[in-house]
Amino acid sequence: MKLSPLSVPYRVVERGASVVFTAAILFSGASAAFGPAGGPIAVALVGLGLLGLVAYEVTYYRRFAYALDEETLDIRSGVISRRNREIPLRRVQNVDISRNVVQRALGIAVVDFETAGGSETEASLRFVAFEEAKRLQGEIGRLKRGEAADDEGAGPATTELFALAPRELALVGALSFDARVPGLLILLLSGSVPALSSLLPAGSGRLLLAAGVVALALGVVLVAWAAGAVVAVLNYYDFRLTRVGDELQYERGLLRRYDGSIPLDKVQTLTVTDNPLKRAFGYAALRIETAGYAPGSGLGEGGSEAAVPLATRDRVFDLANHIETFGSPAFERPPRRVRSRYAIRYLIAAGVLVGLLYGADLLVARSIPWYGPAALALLAPVAAHLKWKHRGYWLGEDHLVTRNGVLRRRIKVVPYYRVQTVIDTRTVFQRRWGVATVTADTAGSLSLTGHDAAAVDVDAATAERLRTTLDTRLRTALATRRGWVDDADDADENLGSDAGAGTEDETDP
Amino acid sequence: MNRLHPRVRVVWAAQAAVAAAVLTTITVAVDRLAVDLPGWAPPAVLVVVLGVGVSLALARYRVWRYEVRDDALYLERGIFTRVRTVVPFVRLQHVDSSRGPVERLLGLASAVVYTAGSRGADVRIPGLTPAGADDLRERLKRLAIRAEGEDAV
Repeated sequence: MKLSPLSVPYRVVERGASVVFTAAILFSGASAAFGPAGGPIAVALVGLGLLGLVAYEVTYYRRFAYALDEETLDIRSGVISRRNREIPLRRVQNVDISRNVVQRALGIAVVDFETAGGSETEASLRFVAFEEAKRLQGEIGRLKRGEAADDEGAGPATTELFALAPRELALVGALSFDARVPGLLILLLSGSVPALSSLLPAGSGRLLLAAGVVALALGVVLVAWAAGAVVAVLNYYDFRLTRVGDELQYERGLLRRYDGSIPLDKVQTLTVTDNPLKRAFGYAALRIETAGYAPGSGLGEGGSEAAVPLATRDRVFDLANHIETFGSPAFERPPRRVRSRYAIRYLIAAGVLVGLLYGADLLVARSIPWYGPAALALLAPVAAHLKWKHRGYWLGEDHLVTRNGVLRRRIKVVPYYRVQTVIDTRTVFQRRWGVATVTADTAGSLSLTGHDAAAVDVDAATAERLRTTLDTRLRTALATRRGWVDDADDADENLGSDAGAGTEDETDP
Repeated sequence: MNRLHPRVRVVWAAQAAVAAAVLTTITVAVDRLAVDLPGWAPPAVLVVVLGVGVSLALARYRVWRYEVRDDALYLERGIFTRVRTVVPFVRLQHVDSSRGPVERLLGLASAVVYTAGSRGADVRIPGLTPAGADDLRERLKRLAIRAEGEDAV
């Protein structure tokens, strides 16, 4: 198969922008070097460059060929150095389609194939027709299930699992406060404050300056909030998650439309996140992690792409249970004594803050209220209690579920057979309190950022037990799983019945 | 539980010595080029860094333990933060034996165990004899094959 013929002009225009940019530089450079003759020389050079670009893209198009057969995806490509690739279909984790506005108008799309190996996209088809992209996505799913081509008419059962209602989209926007923007703005604007204050008449200074600072802060917050809202709406517009056979498919995006598939058997962990505001109104978010590199997990994209940005807690847990049937976790909290540990930690932090301010006060020799943060000490026990309250772990039938964080609470669901290594760490302080942290490491891509499923500050004896239990259960789970994975029909049945049971479970985090 | 080869203390002490030498050189350079430091500063840096490094090496050796169990590799290490890792054989991706320059000089080797986990490359067992490292590698390889990792991800 070939790429879409439209990909040639699109790629030429895409790259042409940089040629024009170089042209501008060449132009000024050439006219400086060769005087009046410089102009025509530069034009000739640009023309040559453009010709070269067109020739390159045409050759790229002619050389590029891909074929999908029963077992592999073969890609032959390359203009100067040539490359032949065979990607085994069962190693393909996600198939992602994305289209920006121009591509949508032209009816072409980018298809990215992710595998677990490496940190970048395994293969990318730069522009095939959108129907072809959808066909590839469907075919790969079908071939992986090992179905014959003739029952294509029936097709796999398609169920819509989740669709973001407009009201929810508005809420997502309203609640998406991009914390990075105020930092950046304050950094940019702080430079202008001394300049502004020097402009003001000396007498009227203080009050006006204070008012200005407040107005500025308000403005910054508003801009940040608006920016977060716009990004969220652009990302999650018309978000829907469907289950096709044993694959999840999602669609989202307003300007740039994403359309991806996640095989259910490649799901590593599920993460339910919320914050105090969402908790108060009974909302939560869900992220689905696979071992594939997630292109959407970069900056400004709002986490992994298969993420339900916001839904009522019941819906989130229903959905999570549909994907991994873990039931309703009954979390076991750390021993009560760790509350004192947290309280002491917060008190020390407040103390350090007071000390620093006092030091600053001495140095500047002005009257700043350095004792201010001492009031925070009153909050320390409350904060400690909350931290303890929102922490916990639960060993389910087939899953380890952990819960951590107050301001950004994460509930992580890890199937036992996804655990890679079990790590038990005890810092000097933890040893003094007789507690330990047990981390279950998985191959999920988001774990790279350091948020593994961890039972934090459990009793030392519990940690010992947890370590052994996780190791044993991992091996039993793997053995069981491999037992039924051999028989494809049996596997389908299992998945179906699990899913049925999952939706009935009541969940209360 | 196996302990490491006692000579690994020398490897770690040598690494500390290198760090101490570098830091002392920096101190001397700062003294010459930038700020005047008291005359005792460079030797003090040398003694302190070397002293801390050597005592850490000794402590680390005392803590380090590893064991090849029936179905998992178990490691225990860390002076300040005590870390215990369980690596089930089903999860082994591959095992290397490696020898750095200092290790080669002292006739030692390490075994490095990889899993698909995000912290996979963390698992490194230093302080083995070259034969011991190769043995361990072979043994782990056999155990991993026996445990069968069809889909390690």
